[in-house]
Amino acid sequence: MTISPALPVALPMLAAAAIAGVRRWLSRAVVDAVAILTAATNLVMCALLLTRSWDAPIVYWFGNWFPRGRMVLGVGFVIDPVGAGLATLAALLMLLALIYSSSAMESGDNHYQPLMLVFLAAMSGFVLTGDLFNLFVFFELMSTAAFALCGLKVEEPAPLQGAFNFAVTNTVGAFFTLTGLAFVYAATGALNMAQIGSLLGSRHDTLVIGGYLFLITGFLIKSAAVPFHFWLADAHAVSPTPVCVLFSGIMVELGLFAILRVTNTMFRASMGPPHTALRDVLLTVGAVSAVWGGAMCFAEHHLKRLLAFSTISHAGAMMMALAVNTPAAIAGWLVYLFAHAMAKSGLFFTAGILLHRLRTMSEPLLFARGTKLRFTAALWLLGGCALAGLPPFAISLGEELTSSATKHSDASVVLMAAFLLSGTLTAAAVFRVFMRVFCGWGDHGPADRSAEVDELPEMHEQNRVIPARMFVPALLCVLFGTVPFLLPQAVSWSGVAAARMLDQQAYIRVVYGQARSAVAQSSLAADVWSALLHSLLAVACGAALAAAAVFHKAVPRRLRWASHMEGSMVWMRSLQSGHAGDYVVWTMAGFSLLGTALFLLR
Amino acid sequence: MSQKVRLRIFWICAAGFACIYFLVAKNLPPWGHYRGPYGDVISSLSVYERHATDVVNAIDYDYRGFDTLAEEFILFTSVLGVMMLLRPPERKATPSATAEESMSPAVQLAALPCFAILILFGLYMSTHGQLTPGGGFQGGVIIASAPMLVYVAEHFRAFKRITSHPLVEGLEAAGAAGYAVIGVTAFAAGVPFLTNWVPLGVTGKVFSSGTIAAISACVGLEVATAFLLLSYTYLAEIIADAGKTK
Amino acid sequence: MNSVIHTFPYLVAGWVFLCGLYGIVTSRHLVHMVVSMAVLQTSTYILLLNIGFRQSGAAPVFADLPPSTRIVDPIVQALMLTDIVVEATVVALVLAFVVKAHENAGTLSPDDLRMMRG
Repeated sequence: MTISPALPVALPMLAAAAIAGVRRWLSRAVVDAVAILTAATNLVMCALLLTRSWDAPIVYWFGNWFPRGRMVLGVGFVIDPVGAGLATLAALLMLLALIYSSSAMESGDNHYQPLMLVFLAAMSGFVLTGDLFNLFVFFELMSTAAFALCGLKVEEPAPLQGAFNFAVTNTVGAFFTLTGLAFVYAATGALNMAQIGSLLGSRHDTLVIGGYLFLITGFLIKSAAVPFHFWLADAHAVSPTPVCVLFSGIMVELGLFAILRVTNTMFRASMGPPHTALRDVLLTVGAVSAVWGGAMCFAEHHLKRLLAFSTISHAGAMMMALAVNTPAAIAGWLVYLFAHAMAKSGLFFTAGILLHRLRTMSEPLLFARGTKLRFTAALWLLGGCALAGLPPFAISLGEELTSSATKHSDASVVLMAAFLLSGTLTAAAVFRVFMRVFCGWGDHGPADRSAEVDELPEMHEQNRVIPARMFVPALLCVLFGTVPFLLPQAVSWSGVAAARMLDQQAYIRVVYGQARSAVAQSSLAADVWSALLHSLLAVACGAALAAAAVFHKAVPRRLRWASHMEGSMVWMRSLQSGHAGDYVVWTMAGFSLLGTALFLLR
Repeated sequence: MSQKVRLRIFWICAAGFACIYFLVAKNLPPWGHYRGPYGDVISSLSVYERHATDVVNAIDYDYRGFDTLAEEFILFTSVLGVMMLLRPPERKATPSATAEESMSPAVQLAALPCFAILILFGLYMSTHGQLTPGGGFQGGVIIASAPMLVYVAEHFRAFKRITSHPLVEGLEAAGAAGYAVIGVTAFAAGVPFLTNWVPLGVTGKVFSSGTIAAISACVGLEVATAFLLLSYTYLAEIIADAGKTK
Repeated sequence: MNSVIHTFPYLVAGWVFLCGLYGIVTSRHLVHMVVSMAVLQTSTYILLLNIGFRQSGAAPVFADLPPSTRIVDPIVQALMLTDIVVEATVVALVLAFVVKAHENAGTLSPDDLRMMRG
């Protein structure tokens, strides 16, 4: 029996509706069981779809509306390995998050689980669809579920403000995207991405560029590129731990995926080579995000916000891989994405364990209080190494593949520098927390307003032993992060998936039911030694920076720039003002800058 | 950032936005001369293939029905979210609304026939979407506005009795799930999700157009109950206060 | 003159978009901010309907029209219907945040709700 591609979307929706309808009469255990089972089923179904999509993309027309000639009538799923792989990753993270939160986390009278299931359905639909408007609708569904989940802890004032800023900025972004969609529809009269791609061809006028610009602005906001990123730290700092895992591990990356999908299936011929404007613009945005996020991460002392800023930095690094947009770079992007999702999820779960045991997320308040938590300390340290890409954690493998795609060009220097800075700064922040909290070295560190935001414990119970449902997901995440490194085929598999993603003509042919493309072979291989070298450099720099910040009294007064970076980057942090109006102004500024660059460089 | 600085940056960005927008709009197809064939093809097909005379509804509930499923779940999700956010704090018994009767009896009397007419009109809208403008979304909102009329006429107790019932929540979920279930039943006939497998009936009759009518009714149920839940959740506190003061 | 008529309705949509942004940016009251967001959304309705409009086109309902009548584009109308539902629901959800924020902090000015600074 073959799995219908509609099921990864329909099943969680049905389960969510079923739970929501009778939630008053169901016990917590039943609701959790149903939710976990649904997520597990989704994981299996998406994995099966992934294997089936390997030979040729699966095309599935809802309502059996096949295209008539060149005219696409209905909505279709076009499932390629990248989409199916991301759906599998989403289901996996959802499963771990639901296990983590089962039985004890505040569930808002059983509202939490159906919201999570709708979130899962939206993410699955978002990555599997081949229709532009369908993409937008699932984008909105995903956002709506995310807004509600973000405000789960209603009794505290901070969550509401973070969720409000999140909702306003992302909704504004959605309207930018919808405007772009209207422009694209006006230009082509089609909504199916393959049809739009074939109709646009290599047309390169202001309508196409402007439509593209409006379209990706919403996705840039979702993927937290500087200067569209302000909402992310606010939303992460206030969300419950499992929701943070999903935001950082997959939702931000789905924003990047949408940019990749839109660029390659619709605008590859019109915006891609020989035009270099898009490449340069995305490369710049990515590099700025990688460095900005890293610096903010190092200056932050609220643990969840710290991890959120590191997500901005890593999303910037991934954006640069998208900018290069060759099979090798996208293969690197896939490896990076998986490894980062696992490392970041592991760190968030570990932070959740800390919050559960020590009741705060503030680094100064946690000082030296984690010295007895050996297991948690080990998880945290491993997570830090994973962020810097120390083998066997695979982030450095992805960086290596990406930069191998740009050998002998100007971009390669920018890429290497940004990767190194991003890895160093984020790892340094994590190591610094490790030294202060788990080792008790140095002192409390500088006072930090944002770390003083109170956070009530998430779990109803308090126990001395960390329950298995909390540490097993953290451990699994850290372990999974090594898979691309230890599995020899991983690189060539991601090479095949990437080659599929980039072949616009094959995609269009498949949608119209013509010649199925043969399996692309990939001879991609990463230079493991170079990856090892780079990651060792990042880890060493990170550790040195962290040590310089922790033991700042031992450093000569003139050379105390590490503690300066940690404590007094006032102007950068003052931009993070917590005011939704400011964030929207920055969104407009980013939009205008991007637009000016794209129009002037064309 | 102070209001002044923010406004200054806004004007600079607005100028940039306006330039970009103008450049794009200049290249749009001339207004009033849209050529796209997509809508024309569907409008020429829907009457014959789907026996539906309202093309917009044929698109919403069939050709692009999968969009509408997701859209219906956006509504479902935000109702879940609102109910979660505004859930009453634990262990705080909500005072029941006791006193009422502050609007004049004439208003209350007039509200009654209006209530009946609204419900009837909403039902008509939800069930005739495949023929004439209307459909589940519009009908659902009209039905949901009837209890609002009760509220305006200050039959607090009656309003509460209608909207606070756990059944409303169950019906809302049933409406949302119903759409997906109709989609899944197509599997039994061996065709893709949301494919019509019901007899199409005679064009122009109420029982025509197969799944379009069924889906429209489901959406009507979902929208009506969703808006009832929303209005109840928002008004619950006001109602409780009114009960206290009297 | 003709080219003005051919572009002007689209520019109206852009103008409303900017009005919405202005409202959000300068807002001193959260409810006002949410309503500005709704204004912003209105621009997408205007744009979609303008794009699908045809001069002397009829509404796409064939209950009493001969099948070959010239009609306006039904696709954009269907998209707009979806859009309206999206807007109504997002506004409902965000207003719930506003209600709760008022309950917890006792103020509705975004300038006073700055827990997330830094």
